[in-house]
Amino acid sequence: MSLRETNRSMRLRRTGLIPSDTRVRHYDELDEEAQATVRELAGRPQTAPEADDLDDGDVVKFTDYYEVRAR
Amino acid sequence: MSDSYVIIGDGIAGASAAETLREEAPDAEITVLTDEGESLYNRILIKEYAKGKLPEAPISIHQESWYDDHDVDLRLNTVVVDIDVENDAVHTHEGETFEYDSLLLAVGGTPQQLPVGNADAEGIHHFWTFQDARNIKESVEDAERAVIVGAGLLGIDFAAICGAQDVEAKYLMRGDNWWRYALSEEGAEIMHEAMRERGVEPVFDSGVDRFEVDDDGHVEAAVDPNGERYECDFAGVAIGLNFNTELVEDTPIETEDGIVVDEFMRTNVDNVYAAGDITTFNDLILGERAKNGSWGSAKEQGTIAARNMLDYGSDEFEWVSSYSITHFDFPFLSFGHPTLGDDSVEATTAEGEWRRVALKDGKVVGGVLIGDLSPQSAFKQLMREGRDVTGQEDLLMEPGFSVDDLAAATEQQ
Repeated sequence: MSLRETNRSMRLRRTGLIPSDTRVRHYDELDEEAQATVRELAGRPQTAPEADDLDDGDVVKFTDYYEVRAR
Repeated sequence: MSDSYVIIGDGIAGASAAETLREEAPDAEITVLTDEGESLYNRILIKEYAKGKLPEAPISIHQESWYDDHDVDLRLNTVVVDIDVENDAVHTHEGETFEYDSLLLAVGGTPQQLPVGNADAEGIHHFWTFQDARNIKESVEDAERAVIVGAGLLGIDFAAICGAQDVEAKYLMRGDNWWRYALSEEGAEIMHEAMRERGVEPVFDSGVDRFEVDDDGHVEAAVDPNGERYECDFAGVAIGLNFNTELVEDTPIETEDGIVVDEFMRTNVDNVYAAGDITTFNDLILGERAKNGSWGSAKEQGTIAARNMLDYGSDEFEWVSSYSITHFDFPFLSFGHPTLGDDSVEATTAEGEWRRVALKDGKVVGGVLIGDLSPQSAFKQLMREGRDVTGQEDLLMEPGFSVDDLAAATEQQ
């Protein structure tokens, strides 16, 4: 299980701007739990427990570019 | 005296092996030799760079300082010309010799060139390295019309690049649909429509008989076997890889469409291992030899190889791979071995959603999901557990399918 043992939750915010110092991850690089979280959150206004394989500020390439917001 | 490890190749397989060796053997001497001019980068994001969607910097994974920080001797632009397995040494094009206690071959492949006239003309591109991506981006930006050849997972990247750069393209396919070995016409049509929406027109029962060039040797048209002529300023060819086995041709290392390894990533030479695209490995899930070129598989193979280089037999490679296409506003995913098997089931589960599952002896061996990827984890679990789904195949096509939906009788065989 790779969900973090914190109370933080994450959501994905669609983004078109990718600064050069951003860590960009492709869906295929993520572990299965993080992939499931991305599938659940992409394009939807909802949150899920923070995935271990993703950090706040990461950008994920799925069907669009999504910025990870973990709070 | 510490053990020495030489790794040929700094893609994800070689780099993950170097990382694992350093973590688990702090005193080991580790050397990485690569013929490329840059250290590890993200090969699955270079298509995004070529599309003009990403700057260069996020593509890089290991800066050269990473190798210094981890005491790994990285040699860029270094071509290995000979492997001497009797004397545990490799020789480079510049006459250097590197001796090893254990060697890892993570040498990958090279894109195949079409066996037709003018296939090496200027403006005809293959897509494998970051440098290829830079060349493609530059070439596409100056193009108005393109031709794409290769109706598979790599060819569609060219279609997406052309679509993203507003280049009108003809996608010449030999059969009657894209990736016909894994998709029926019904599933492929979803992909065809997405291409058309981006200005890329699939042309079926076609292909390339020859390319025509202008006076400067630059491609100006592709002519298909039917005699149809398609003018182009740019051509993208993705018809497969030649695996770089020539390096071991004069050694006793066994090859069969790649370098043959066991489930521990070891070749038939005791202290020589291989990982990544180059391997023909013993697939414990499929029960036969297999190949896989996905990022996750290569990374895992590199890690497993490193552990077994340190302690043979300590860790097996058992992996269900997957590969997604994220160019469109719906996701596409292939998993396992979707082109293999002796049976299959497929269904349209909702508008724009389609799936196909390949079966062998009643067990899932792979599949394709379009639009709805939610059953991805369940299908992979079925593969890992070797569940026999005979008589319950239709359940696999149900929206919201879960492993729990199968009767208890299908538990692990």
